Amino acid sequence: MAKQIVNATPEALGAGILDIETQLRLERFLAYEAALMDEHEYDRWMALWSGDDITYWVPCNDDDQDPSTGIAIIYDDRSNLNERMMRLKDKTAHAYRPRARLVRTISGVVPLKAEGDELEVASSFVLGEIRVGVQNIWFGKCMYRLQDTPEGFRIRSKKVMLLNNDEAMPNLTFLV
Amino acid sequence: MTTLIASSRDYGALVKEDRVHSSIFTDEQIFQDEIERIFHRTWLFALHESEIPKFGDFKRIQLGRFPIIVTRDENGEIQLLINRCRHRGAQVCEAQRGNAKRFQCWYHGWTYDSKGDLVGVTGPEGYDKNFEAEQHALAKVPRVGSYRGFVFASLAEEGMSFDEYLGPTKKFFDMMVDSSPIGEVEVRPGVVNKTMYRGNWKQIGMDGYHPHYVHMSVFKIFSKRESTTGSAVGALHLEDPFADTSLSRTRGFPNGHACLDFREQRRPHAATAIEELERSEEGRQYVADMVAAHGRERAEELVAWHGDPHLGLFPNLQLIHGHVRVVIPISPGETEVLMYPVFLKGVEPGINAKRLRAHEAFYGPAAAGSPDDAEIFERTQRGLLADAEPWVLLSRGIEREQVDEDGSVTACISDEVTQRAQMQEWKRLMTAR
Repeated sequence: MAKQIVNATPEALGAGILDIETQLRLERFLAYEAALMDEHEYDRWMALWSGDDITYWVPCNDDDQDPSTGIAIIYDDRSNLNERMMRLKDKTAHAYRPRARLVRTISGVVPLKAEGDELEVASSFVLGEIRVGVQNIWFGKCMYRLQDTPEGFRIRSKKVMLLNNDEAMPNLTFLV
Repeated sequence: MTTLIASSRDYGALVKEDRVHSSIFTDEQIFQDEIERIFHRTWLFALHESEIPKFGDFKRIQLGRFPIIVTRDENGEIQLLINRCRHRGAQVCEAQRGNAKRFQCWYHGWTYDSKGDLVGVTGPEGYDKNFEAEQHALAKVPRVGSYRGFVFASLAEEGMSFDEYLGPTKKFFDMMVDSSPIGEVEVRPGVVNKTMYRGNWKQIGMDGYHPHYVHMSVFKIFSKRESTTGSAVGALHLEDPFADTSLSRTRGFPNGHACLDFREQRRPHAATAIEELERSEEGRQYVADMVAAHGRERAEELVAWHGDPHLGLFPNLQLIHGHVRVVIPISPGETEVLMYPVFLKGVEPGINAKRLRAHEAFYGPAAAGSPDDAEIFERTQRGLLADAEPWVLLSRGIEREQVDEDGSVTACISDEVTQRAQMQEWKRLMTAR
């Protein structure tokens, strides 16, 4: 994510704060997460989240809109996210039927901070969507807090900054 | 100011008492005439005055085809200025909102102040002695009216007064504003869901017949919850407000305004609503302040109503749950919808934070409620293009309408009183001479 990457420490941008192998594991993890979202594999995507105090945040109007004084497009804790999953899977949630066909590419994966077993990671994506004959292209930047566990990386929080978060947008009927 | 395009079309024939012709949703020429005859003639919601509180504050809005700058001038007055340089016509303001004492046209440098007066002309010696700056101020929207901070405008020099336009709907504005213990609300221009759907602007009416089907997935989730605490739509109780056996009513007003009137259905739930609020310190304070401000009886009903008028003002405003909704027609098959959550003044920050969470749970492009509405509007638009059997039925409950003391028409919550009111006003404006 450009602003955070621009402001990152020289170590993070120079030699990097991770060894190459961890960087590759990280990129593979984000590609895997992207594939689960593209394929609407909701349960397997949910299994990537760890802990009860998770936050899945898609700000509205401004990348840094404070949720205590503004709104978000998505601002989910675990219980909200569980309900979102129920709706995404529900055949009567009309906006999600038929499901969108999706493909996204992830790039700019830069770990910015490492603390204990937790990492702060920036990335960006371009996403193509086709649904009921209409093609939309979405762009976004992500900021993750990931935990490195023996089972692999797990998501503690994820913030998705859509490029069009202050424009009139159609339904966002899939995971970003 | 506006030109009425002569029309050979018989719009009266397209709207009958119990049905409308689908071409009014799909036809390009009808859409252009709607902009001229409805959006350039009747009253339109512009903004809430709290959006531009200080001298120099401005916000850009669109009224019909007119780009408008709404400013707060040095006398604290609100000005609605047409965003078009009086020289060659370029827009003089491109920022969506901000604070500026001057608006400069970057084509040739003409400059205007927040009243719209022309205060700077590049190379004035090039104009002859008859040139008067006073004659070249930014054009003003001819008529402006406001009620409880809600500012409306009419692009027509003459017409129905603002007071007559609102008619008996004022008490529904009061429901929203008086849910603040100091009787003031705030709308923030930078806190808004901006959404669009590929469907006609008139589809986004008031409809008490759709929730069980369009929002079935939400009802399913509610049924799995132990209580409605923190419920997405605030005032939905375990008792179904959309049942025809409930005390909820649809209501149609003069001038196309319409309401899903939940007042009687919600009033018996005052005690529960207060009990829920009083679980937190900020909620206890809110209840105490409301009682002190409005008296026990009025405070109880205001709390039970959750500040939700569920009112539609024809043609471009809705006050639903805790938000102000503005409808912007783009083309026959494309509409933008802006949803501004309303902040209560005179309450602890936690009260507004809870309202924000409740709003975003149901409204916005990835929320539980409004995406399904948008989806159904798009399905409707695709269906309406097939006009072999062109009539759209709005007859539900036509035999069980009643007229209230204030002149409004009511019927069961699922009845199409609201749509009939909106369409009769559409017909009146489209056929006006």
